[in-house]
Amino acid sequence: MKKLMALTLAALMLLALTACGGNSGNSGTSGGGSDTFTPSKTVTWTCTSSAGGGSDIFSRKISEIMTNEGLVNGQTIVVSNETDGAGEVGRNKIATMKAGDADYNLLTFNSGDLMPMVQNTKNRAANFRILAIMAVDKQLLFSCPGSDSKTDYAKAGGSQTDFAAAIEAAKNGTFVVIGGSKGDDITTYNKLLAEVGLTDAQMSYITYDSTSDAITAALGGNVDFVISKPAAASQYVESGDLTPVLALSTERYSGNLAGAPTLSEIGDYENVEVPVWRGVAAPASMSDAAAAFWSDALGKVAATDAWHKEYLETNQLLDQYMDTTAATTYVTDYEADYMAENGIS
Amino acid sequence: MENFASLLAGFQVALAPENIGVCLLGAILGLVVGAMPGIGSLAGCALLLPLTYKFNPTTAIIMLGALYYANMYGGSFSAILLNIPGDSPAITTALDGYPMARKGRPGQALMTANLSSFIGGTIGILILTVTASGLATIGLMFGYAEMTIILLIAMTSISWLIGENPIKGIVITMLGILVASIGMDTLSGAPRYEFGSMYLLGGIPFTPFIIGCVGFAQVIKLINEREADEKKRSSDDSRQKLSIKKSMPTGHDLRRMLPPTLRSGVMGTFVGVLPGSGATTGSMVGYAIQKKFKSEEPMGSGAIEGIAASEAANNAAAAGAFAPLLALGIPGSGTGAVLLGGLMMWGLNPGPLLFDTNPDFCWGLISSMYVANVFTLLVAILVIPFLIKILSVPVKYMIPIITCVCIVGAYSTSNSMYGVIVMFVSGIVGYLLDKNGFPTAPMLLAFVLAPMLEQNIRKAFIASQGGLGIFVDSPLKLVLLAVFLVLVLTPTVKAVRRKMGAGKKTPA
Repeated sequence: MKKLMALTLAALMLLALTACGGNSGNSGTSGGGSDTFTPSKTVTWTCTSSAGGGSDIFSRKISEIMTNEGLVNGQTIVVSNETDGAGEVGRNKIATMKAGDADYNLLTFNSGDLMPMVQNTKNRAANFRILAIMAVDKQLLFSCPGSDSKTDYAKAGGSQTDFAAAIEAAKNGTFVVIGGSKGDDITTYNKLLAEVGLTDAQMSYITYDSTSDAITAALGGNVDFVISKPAAASQYVESGDLTPVLALSTERYSGNLAGAPTLSEIGDYENVEVPVWRGVAAPASMSDAAAAFWSDALGKVAATDAWHKEYLETNQLLDQYMDTTAATTYVTDYEADYMAENGIS
Repeated sequence: MENFASLLAGFQVALAPENIGVCLLGAILGLVVGAMPGIGSLAGCALLLPLTYKFNPTTAIIMLGALYYANMYGGSFSAILLNIPGDSPAITTALDGYPMARKGRPGQALMTANLSSFIGGTIGILILTVTASGLATIGLMFGYAEMTIILLIAMTSISWLIGENPIKGIVITMLGILVASIGMDTLSGAPRYEFGSMYLLGGIPFTPFIIGCVGFAQVIKLINEREADEKKRSSDDSRQKLSIKKSMPTGHDLRRMLPPTLRSGVMGTFVGVLPGSGATTGSMVGYAIQKKFKSEEPMGSGAIEGIAASEAANNAAAAGAFAPLLALGIPGSGTGAVLLGGLMMWGLNPGPLLFDTNPDFCWGLISSMYVANVFTLLVAILVIPFLIKILSVPVKYMIPIITCVCIVGAYSTSNSMYGVIVMFVSGIVGYLLDKNGFPTAPMLLAFVLAPMLEQNIRKAFIASQGGLGIFVDSPLKLVLLAVFLVLVLTPTVKAVRRKMGAGKKTPA
């Protein structure tokens, strides 16, 4: 009997607690209705990739800096990894969120998220509020000259450090294979192919689940070249396993990647550059005051030392903060280009 | 010898009090997490990862390493006792473990699983110690063509799981492949069989599917057996009490267990090293190969050899998977990818230079695996008597308990109700299939292996421009192909010989 009483009491207390929690939450939302917005309850940060990955680290780093710098009025930011439907379910939840809750919801939104979303669903960038672009990354083409010769091009004795030679060989009928990850890398490959005037039957692309899988394939000699961002390949360049072959950028990189020429340097081509951006979005129904608050807070994060040292430098990313206005224009243009190139209406 | 000197230095790190503490904590958590269906090592490490950011990296990875490692032990508990594999590598453990527990030898089944996990794991760690970074280079030799053949070898294990009716077996295997192909095509990104649903775009999540097909289907079955169970209980007063002593395997059991354990231990390590395969493929290949060796009871009917082959292989593979992670910065599995993310968060640069730049970290981790292995074995043996009590819980209480565990497990994979819905639907489908004589094990194996096989075979064909030559152009491929052909053709050759023998006898 005593046990039962204790249990009932505990249940009552729990109920009272949750009821209180609910109340304070409501007052918080109504407080957000005025001209200025200050968060007064827990903020949920949706990340549509699994824990431990690049997007997850990005989300957690920003929320950590926001909390440490006291930018969120002492509230907690909870990162929620929602991977259902390859991330589309989480993105759709944010896109269709009602006003009120919308002020307390943020979403990690990258070029790699936008492409499959536009490709496979009816959601568009316009269904979100783009709050900021925090960083931009570019790619390079690498090769592993010391690997076993398993591909046609390697067996034919093709140079693995000279991409111009590979283009020539492909034009003359030797099959060349490029490896890379999904999303951004495929777009870059398609642009590269179009620029040098080859078909995918001459220079083919193998999609890997991640860049590290693609690098493994290059180390094992299973692909001739691999597309990677500088950070993922950096260690292998330092150890001499990978050689940077081509900078997919309008200018050369610095440091140990400086040896890689741009496309215009190796022939009569235009440079190919597909910016890979990392941004933060929110529900379209977020209030103007809240959007201004978050865009400003993200700007403050981008200006901190911690962001530069612990995120940008560690991941070798370019510092390219854009506020909500600039970011919205940028993402809208990017989406329009992508849709035009892929024939999506 | 140099490696052993480094290992000893590593032990100095691993045996520091705080590291022993986290190692023990990791081992216990891993056992618990592994025993709970659904919350596999991937979710376990991902959940713990944020907690370790403030740790020193060596301490953090020791904890996560111990957790990953102990998980392989824990996964077998629910597989043996409840026929619910806690994690995908335990699917093959359930095939023999559950029948053995039903035969009244649950203690021996658990003990076999623990001991073979320990021995298999030790073999894996020893190989890792001796070869260190060298092992990872072997992994690099395996391209898509080689992986295709290895996956074909693993797939042969389906053939004897299909039971007495081959047609039903083939139908169910095909169903597994069909379900696996739902979602986005990994090579071209094209959606398949998604019927306009955003959820189906991401495919059928593996863990809820397996929990449903096996675990929840089991619950529905139990509901039917409830009355029979109560009658049996009221008439049968002699309650079994099992102690550690009674669950000890006999000398004969040990002799049966040892050869498959050693074989699977060595082979599992190498499978673990291969890119993108991990413990699941390890246990399946281990089980497939064991079929070719003698076992006292037929495999699948509660043979000790089956449990040993599968458990030794998956623990060895878990150890082997660390080789590419440490030496090349290549994650061998989903859990490996989370650990890799962790390395970067702790400010380490995973990659080919890690062994040179952070030797104390690498060797500390390897030596902590020895420590974790011993701890986990001790904890695992001590909990056996408590675990066995689960079997004496009346069915009417088991039904709601297992249902709860199934729901929690399915929910925790992606923190959404979608997993729970998948679990319920596949549970009902699994039950109906089972009721009509369709075995579900082939479906699960096909579901796991088919996507990997598809990816590798398609990559091979892209690289060879559709030519078949890519499967035979190196000695390694020929050897693997020979193993595959031997596995596939022996039954046929045997049958033909038997017929010819019979044919010779008739005229005489």
